[in-house]
Amino acid sequence: MASYLAQFQTIKSSCDRLVIAVEDVSDLWPGVKDGFEERLPLKKALLNNKTRNSVYIESLPAEFILTTDSRLRSRFPQEQSVFWFREPYAIVVLVTCEDLDEFKTILKPRLKLIVQNDEREWFIVFVSKAHPNNDPATKMAKRIYSKLEVDFNSRKRERCCRLDLHGSDANFWEDLDFKLIECIRNTLDRRVQFYEEEIRKLTEQRFMPVWSFCNFFILKESLAFMFEIAHLHEDALREYDELELCYLETVNTSKQRDFGGLERGDDQAALLNPGSKPLTHAVQDDSFREFEFRQYLFAYQSKLLFNLHRPVEVAARGYSFIISFSKTLALYENLLPFCFREVWVVTACLALINSTSSQFGGSNVTADVHKEFYRLLGDLYSLSRVKFMRLAYLIGYGVEMERSPVNSASLSMLPWPKPAVWPIVPPDASADVLAKEKIILQSNHRVKHFNIERKPLPLEPSLLLREANRRRASLSVGNTSELFDTRQSLTDGPGSEGNSQFSPTGKVYASLMSRTFSGPANSESPSLSLDRPMRLSEIHVAAEHALKRTISDPDLLKSLSSVADFERKYMELTKGAADNYHQSWWKRHGVVLDGEIGALCFKHGNYDLAAKSYEKVCALYSGEGWQALLAEVLPNLAECQKILNDQAGYLSSCVRLLSLDNCLFSTRERQDFQAEVFRLAHCEMKHPVPLDVSSLITFSGNPGPPLELCDGDPGTLSVTVWSGFPDDIALDSLSLTLMATYSTDEGIKAIKCSDPPVLKPGRNLITLGLPPQKPGSYVLGVLTGQIGQLRFRSHIFSKGGPPDSYDFMSYEKPTRPVLKVHKPRPLVDIAAAISSALLINEIQWVGLIVKPLNYSLNGAILHIDTGPGLMIEGSHMIEIEQYTKETENLVDCSNLKNMKKDACSSEGCEKLLLKDGSLALPVWASDIGSILWLPVRAIDNSLARGTSTVKPLRHSVVDGMRMIALKLKFGVYGNQVFERTIAVHFTEPFHVSTRVADKCNDGSLLLQVTIHSQVKASLRLCDAWLDLQPGFVHAGKVDGRPTSSYFPVVVSPSSRAAILFIVHLGNVSIADKNDGLQTGSILNIKYGIMGDRTVGAHVPVNVKAEDSRELLFKSILSLQRPALDPCLAVGFLPFTSDCLKVGQLVDVRWRLERLKDLEETHLSSISKDELLYEVDANPENWMIAGRKRGHVSLEATRGSRIMITVTCLPLVSGYVRPPQLELPGVGESNISSNPAGPHLVCVLPSTLSSSFCVPA
Amino acid sequence: MIVCVAVVGHQNNPLYLQSFTEADDALKLHHIVHCSLDVIEERVNNPKKSGPTLNETFLGLLYPTENYKVYGYLTNTKVKFILVTTDLEVRDADVRSFFRRFHAAYVDAVSNPFHVPGKKINSKTFAARVSSIVKTFGSGAA
Repeated sequence: MASYLAQFQTIKSSCDRLVIAVEDVSDLWPGVKDGFEERLPLKKALLNNKTRNSVYIESLPAEFILTTDSRLRSRFPQEQSVFWFREPYAIVVLVTCEDLDEFKTILKPRLKLIVQNDEREWFIVFVSKAHPNNDPATKMAKRIYSKLEVDFNSRKRERCCRLDLHGSDANFWEDLDFKLIECIRNTLDRRVQFYEEEIRKLTEQRFMPVWSFCNFFILKESLAFMFEIAHLHEDALREYDELELCYLETVNTSKQRDFGGLERGDDQAALLNPGSKPLTHAVQDDSFREFEFRQYLFAYQSKLLFNLHRPVEVAARGYSFIISFSKTLALYENLLPFCFREVWVVTACLALINSTSSQFGGSNVTADVHKEFYRLLGDLYSLSRVKFMRLAYLIGYGVEMERSPVNSASLSMLPWPKPAVWPIVPPDASADVLAKEKIILQSNHRVKHFNIERKPLPLEPSLLLREANRRRASLSVGNTSELFDTRQSLTDGPGSEGNSQFSPTGKVYASLMSRTFSGPANSESPSLSLDRPMRLSEIHVAAEHALKRTISDPDLLKSLSSVADFERKYMELTKGAADNYHQSWWKRHGVVLDGEIGALCFKHGNYDLAAKSYEKVCALYSGEGWQALLAEVLPNLAECQKILNDQAGYLSSCVRLLSLDNCLFSTRERQDFQAEVFRLAHCEMKHPVPLDVSSLITFSGNPGPPLELCDGDPGTLSVTVWSGFPDDIALDSLSLTLMATYSTDEGIKAIKCSDPPVLKPGRNLITLGLPPQKPGSYVLGVLTGQIGQLRFRSHIFSKGGPPDSYDFMSYEKPTRPVLKVHKPRPLVDIAAAISSALLINEIQWVGLIVKPLNYSLNGAILHIDTGPGLMIEGSHMIEIEQYTKETENLVDCSNLKNMKKDACSSEGCEKLLLKDGSLALPVWASDIGSILWLPVRAIDNSLARGTSTVKPLRHSVVDGMRMIALKLKFGVYGNQVFERTIAVHFTEPFHVSTRVADKCNDGSLLLQVTIHSQVKASLRLCDAWLDLQPGFVHAGKVDGRPTSSYFPVVVSPSSRAAILFIVHLGNVSIADKNDGLQTGSILNIKYGIMGDRTVGAHVPVNVKAEDSRELLFKSILSLQRPALDPCLAVGFLPFTSDCLKVGQLVDVRWRLERLKDLEETHLSSISKDELLYEVDANPENWMIAGRKRGHVSLEATRGSRIMITVTCLPLVSGYVRPPQLELPGVGESNISSNPAGPHLVCVLPSTLSSSFCVPA
Repeated sequence: MIVCVAVVGHQNNPLYLQSFTEADDALKLHHIVHCSLDVIEERVNNPKKSGPTLNETFLGLLYPTENYKVYGYLTNTKVKFILVTTDLEVRDADVRSFFRRFHAAYVDAVSNPFHVPGKKINSKTFAARVSSIVKTFGSGAA
């Protein structure tokens, strides 16, 4: 059957649609052909697929072929069964007949003959030529047609239809379509069944020796092809998939056979081009060569997938096909041409990319599929890129390649090609070898920027030199001889291979060499001249020549012909991969490849593009914290920026380099970076450049509690700044912002470091002067500073260590405050140390307790301003002593002790001088309470005035009050001010009150002078005397002193003492009267005082304690002569009746009584026994009946009395003043009213009576 | 042979990367691990594709390249473990058990009170344990 393969292929290529046979019985075809062919392709065909499910096919191409056509004739039955797909799927029998007899005799038997074959699907089209106007002919045609229907239609199926040539019959065409499709469907079903049966049979025989894959293939592909021409692509694809599976099974199990791929042009992948090579060429011993056949299968699969509009699947299948096929190629690599595998992969990838992307163009797919497709394209591009690079490396372009991680990852793990024999140098290639040598020598690998020394990443899985020489036939095992060359390349200089001296493999060679070089190596020396190991340049030349033989694609060949061409192709592939990855999910792949594009741009001086690409890569790596990778790219970016004169960018890159992990660069390199930063900042840049150096310089507050300040106080804040610079770096300025934790709206003010610091590497302690801040707590904000033109800032907090590489991910601000400024609170208190009044007009110590409240008063200055009536005695120093609670308790101690204290002789006492009203507090008083003693004198020029029971004491607090205004300036910078006005109470030592204790019969008065002690101190009365005012005289003794033997009298605090004076009323002269009214009597008291200054009044400053009696107190006592001297008493006696009525007479009675003997009085004018009286009454109210005025006689002796009665008549009702008795002859001061009459009396109206009328 | 194992944090930052190659070429492994994050991200973002393995920590083969294989594992906390091997015939079960043991080692390492979550793992014990896990890989010890 294998022999049919060629035939099958030709049939397949010639047949591309369904065939419908036309049995033209009555030569009608030329007439109806056009009409029939117009129906093609068939629309909306409903076919069954392999699983008997209906499938709609929009458009089914088909072809009408006459049965007489040569294509349908002369076929052998057996071949028909295999190639059944090309047989007609329906037979249309075209007949016409105008005569019934003719039909019966000729046509019907003939038709029976035609349709007798049950296998075929047929139907009859009766063509009626009758003109519609030709009635008999039409009728005849109808009759014949009905005959036809009777004869050929079965119950199940109608097999006839009628076409009127002259009538337009739309139904016919629909009927025709329907019948055609019905036939095709039935035929297809039958044939599928047949093929399946055949295939099943073959599959059962699979493990028998007679089984041939070729037969199986022909059957299977026939079926697939039939599905394909029926547009059942899915089914066709399934057949191919099954075929592939089956093939892979047989290939793996069956015996060794040729692989293929040895023909010219095989290196160009044919995985999308099924017709590239006739399959017959690939057949061998009833089976196929794998190389051709698998590509062939894939080509058909992809063709079907394209038909199904599934280019994404083509790409996906294609990629895995290439990978797996590449592995297969690796198995046969020793049979294939040099680097065949790599070349094939490159061409396969590119072919796949081209076809899928052209097919993908307009299809509308979901975003996911879109991304997936571009990812696949990216994969294909990057696969071809890798293989292309490998090819280029072999021919010596490796020196031009960037030794980046991506290239290293893809190339260094990719094994070398393993040809059976490594290609040898062609005889006439010495010029080429020299040229390659030159390239190798010239291209000492690019020195990294900043002279960064890195071992370049490998681009090769192992040394090419060793691999190539090892694979040469004559040098079975690479040993001694090749080592010559290794050593040579080591000494040659920095060729790409020369770098291996750093690698461990290189070391192995070195040791190997020393071992093998000793003796037996010389025995091989004759062969050296004959077949000496190739040098690297020779390997490259040899590879190039071999590749030229392998590669048939002129495009690929050209792209390897020169470095420029290589780079063009390399760029194209890299760009393709990057662009496609960018459109997929795999952004990282895309960005990394951008870096490769950047490298090439850089090499070609296209720094702008290079910088852009590098920036993308750097952003990717730094964004995710891949520092090791970043350290590889960042220097390149920096170099670009340097070349482009992008100073800000360059500076930023340098800073970023510095802030990378220390272990990624050596100290020397880091120092270079710093030098570069410094140079740029100070020399190069003309304008200030802001830069965030958060990763390089970090800061934090000191551990421990935050600095606490009082409101308004400045302070110094110390901050730990961590510098990531490898060397000391001098800053031009440094400042730090503080942020209030709870109010963000306030403007943040930076605190500047007064002297620009030099940052050491690592931890630095910076102290900052802090101006007064508002109350609240503060956290560190931003650190800013300047180095030359570089204005840097940092927001990163750290605990004084290097910035953790991941801190950039959490922008959490530390909540720990570094500074707390307290709300305003009292920092100091000044109070008077005394609780009671001091002596007025004497120099007294006023104590001021200065109490710091948790705040140092160091350097405090107190301004003292006394108010009016108070002065500080300049003649005395101001004393200060420590204030303790004991000082207060001393009140209870004995007086003697107090005296001592007053003298300020204790050790804790210090004397201060008041200068211009201010004094400085001593240092020792900064933190503890102290008492300041001021010698003051309150001045009051008025004399003390005594009081009596008549004139009670009116306390006026204001009298003795004096003010001391204090202003204390303190704080570190004297910024705090405390102001207070202290009221000090001054008083006389005594208050004097008088009372006439008794009036003696002899006219002398007992004057009691009570002395109230006003102070909280013991007063010692030494002497007291009274200087009487005129009109009074002392009784007995003249000097007015009490008995002196009573003195001294001690008056305890707040207690009283009294002295009695006996005075007489003296005569008052007129002159005396004029003066004596003003001046009162003066009480003089000589006293001493024993008090404690901490309590109140005490011995005046200028008086020594012993001379305390020297003090003199004067108080005015105003004595008044008695004002009244009553001789007569007038008493109003109650009315006799209870109520007074108008018009009713009433007796008003007075009683007169003599109170004194007449002679005692000095009123001589009053007659001795007769008294003149007069009744005074308002005549409107009262009518007096009787004598209004008259004399009564009264005895001159004391106690004589008389009654005067006057009858009166009230005239009006109401409350009226009663009549009064007056004594015109006696002075008013001599009369006393006892008992006194009422002011008003009630007069009722008269009882109603007709006889008593008051005219209106 | 396992050439590299890595732990990548939930923000795709490297937490631990150990290469087991003799040559000084860890950087290329950094690259491979970094790029494989693309695949993990794609899988995680497109749960439709991963289908039944949605809730599984083991992500399976990430990279079917010619020369090496990359396997992934995603913990509940979105920490990724990545394994790069040059063995082309690797049993899935081996890789699974490797990751399970590796995960246990990782959990122990980050449970150290002195380890700051999200920071690089510097524990020597962890490194030693990882090395032993790598050495026994595929030997059926698991």
